[in-house]
Amino acid sequence: MKVINIIIKDLKVVLSDKQAIIVTMLMPLILMTILSMALKGSFISSLDIEINQIPIAVVKLYDQEADSQIFAQTLEERLNINLTGDEANPEEIFFEDFLESKEVSKMINYRIEDYEKAVDLLNEGEISAIIVLPEKYIYDMKINLFTPFRNNVDVRILTHPDRTIDGEIVASVMEAYNNTMSSIVIGKNVLIESASANDIGGEGFDNIDEIMEGMTDLVEGINVNIENLSVQGKQSIKSSEYYTSAMITMFILFAAGQGGRMLLEEKDNQTYQRMVIADISKTHILAGKFFTIFLLASIQIIIMLVYSYFALKVRWRDAGSVAVLSAASAFAVAGLGIFIASITYRAGNYRLANAFENVIIQVMAILGGSFFPLDLMPEIIQNLSVFSLNGVAMKAYLKIIMGYNFAGISGSVLILAATGILFIIAGVILFNKEVTANAKHSKIKTA
Amino acid sequence: MLKVENLYKNFGNIRAVDGISFEVERGEVFGLLGPNGAGKSTTISIISTLLPPTKGEILFEGESIFKNSKNLRQKLGIVPQDVALYPTLTGYENLRFWGNLYGLKGADLKKRINEVAEIIGLNGRLKDKVDKYSGGMKRRLNIGAALLHEPELLIMDEPTVGIDPQSRSHILDTVLKLNAQGMTIIYTTHYMEEAEELCSRICIMDEGKIIASGTKQELVELVKEKTQINIKLDNISDNMLQVFKEIPGVFDAAIHEDTVSLFGENGDMLLADIVSKVSEKNFKIQSIDIQKPNLEAVFLHLTGKALRD
Repeated sequence: MKVINIIIKDLKVVLSDKQAIIVTMLMPLILMTILSMALKGSFISSLDIEINQIPIAVVKLYDQEADSQIFAQTLEERLNINLTGDEANPEEIFFEDFLESKEVSKMINYRIEDYEKAVDLLNEGEISAIIVLPEKYIYDMKINLFTPFRNNVDVRILTHPDRTIDGEIVASVMEAYNNTMSSIVIGKNVLIESASANDIGGEGFDNIDEIMEGMTDLVEGINVNIENLSVQGKQSIKSSEYYTSAMITMFILFAAGQGGRMLLEEKDNQTYQRMVIADISKTHILAGKFFTIFLLASIQIIIMLVYSYFALKVRWRDAGSVAVLSAASAFAVAGLGIFIASITYRAGNYRLANAFENVIIQVMAILGGSFFPLDLMPEIIQNLSVFSLNGVAMKAYLKIIMGYNFAGISGSVLILAATGILFIIAGVILFNKEVTANAKHSKIKTA
Repeated sequence: MLKVENLYKNFGNIRAVDGISFEVERGEVFGLLGPNGAGKSTTISIISTLLPPTKGEILFEGESIFKNSKNLRQKLGIVPQDVALYPTLTGYENLRFWGNLYGLKGADLKKRINEVAEIIGLNGRLKDKVDKYSGGMKRRLNIGAALLHEPELLIMDEPTVGIDPQSRSHILDTVLKLNAQGMTIIYTTHYMEEAEELCSRICIMDEGKIIASGTKQELVELVKEKTQINIKLDNISDNMLQVFKEIPGVFDAAIHEDTVSLFGENGDMLLADIVSKVSEKNFKIQSIDIQKPNLEAVFLHLTGKALRD
């Protein structure tokens, strides 16, 4: 009961501070709205941003020799044309002229794998996307390039949901390739139709290889239908979804900052001593602070979730997972809060609490991807992101939006819970140690 | 009611409390008088169970407070010198919180808050936030927060520091009323007049030690044959002190701001000698005041320095 009284009082004290409410409750709503809107168009296909080479795998489901043979046979049977064998090769166009071109190779680094191996690599995060060249790819492409006919070619791109941006970049590059190849095929058809209309007849077909060779010098694309799939049937992330998750996980850290000041503030204005004299144990006082921070973070999360649902149309697919993850996030933040509170109390000054709010939260925000998607960050920052509470929580929130079930985020929930417990233990130890280490400063002040 | 026995407290190499012993009787106002740094705050912190002593014992109702602090804490009210309240909450919310911590709730709590508001004279202002209160109102609320659970022992730590005379007078009246209702009070102050007005018995502390204790009359007895002559001069320098001390019959002398306080026997004779010396040295006198022996004189007599130094 005494803990509840302390919590109610602390919540009243915090909520009576208008500046704190603006920072912790209003600011994230404004920021998530601005960032969601401002980065709506450029969030996914940020080609202007300098990035690392994107690792991809190319899966060849076709048999080049068989395709070429069938094509030659078909051409001979239907059009009575014998190819010399030195006509343009679709495989060379795709790999050498397109993927290995100077511009594309700056962005994309490919390897050839079989389908199963490629999917494994994608799921492990070793590669960001898979380009699947379908069966009869060579045959269909040759038909498109060298005959008046057009066959549909379905090139599929599989991306990893955690690397949405990489996947979208690969898709965009393939789309450019697709557009260019389409224009070639259309140009070829116009040429054939013109030749036919002007009764140029065989001469037009006699020179088609030469013409195609000239055109393919300019080309890094083919006539394909790109099917952009995410593995495991997951959805890609929109800017509003990304920044809602980012702001939730970043701004609840401020609750830890606020909580981090509470104990020393109580000591400075003598209310802490008064509580001890009122026979309130240190455990009760610390528990009161813990649950106050937990509730503050929970209130923040609820406000942001509701706002994002109505104002930004963010749809949280699995309410149960969101609730558990939110509770775990608030728990971790509350643990962090009393850890900071204990150190601050023991130190007798607000340096750590100030540094946490002004520096550490910002660093954690960057490491966790709250400002910029981690895909765009240098590898070292991506590796360091595991040390940011907000980064762990944000990934899990994004996974829920992507369509992962609870099993998909259970690892993150466990990490958050374990982190919270570790912080609580450290905070309790530090706080109790204070009794002997800093007893001089616990006395009642007099003139 | 409360017995302090041979109490010591060290902070590193500094001895803040140096072997003090005293006893507080039920129903009295017991004064702890002393200048800053005398050890009053440390003593109070130990009595309040906030600090453990280095050595010594404190018995409350015959039981060691270090072995069983619960009994004392339930019956103890403390009024810290700093206003120990939540400024962004209302006066009512503050009183309700502190009342809750002492187990009061519902109608009982509401009734008690109204009673306390009456005692401290804030019944019309409890809905206001504390940060809108004047300094005096905050101090009164600070006292109110310590009264909610009707403590048997109330420790008031310099409750009148830095407030207007009207609030001070109200607080002193409150102390006397509470005592009249049977509450035992330990009152610390460095205002000699407050100790004289309120306290039935007084301990004078300096540098961690009790240098004198007893009723006001007993303490003044120590300096009863001494006259205190306060001379306000135009200019004061340290070397004047020696000049005055050389006057036959002057036991002691001290300077406080623009006034020299001299102590000696046979005030009338002494005054003539002093005026003669002042004229001889061309000091310019603004005023002369002859005082009966008081606690200030006792402190000066015992320590050689003024209480407010």
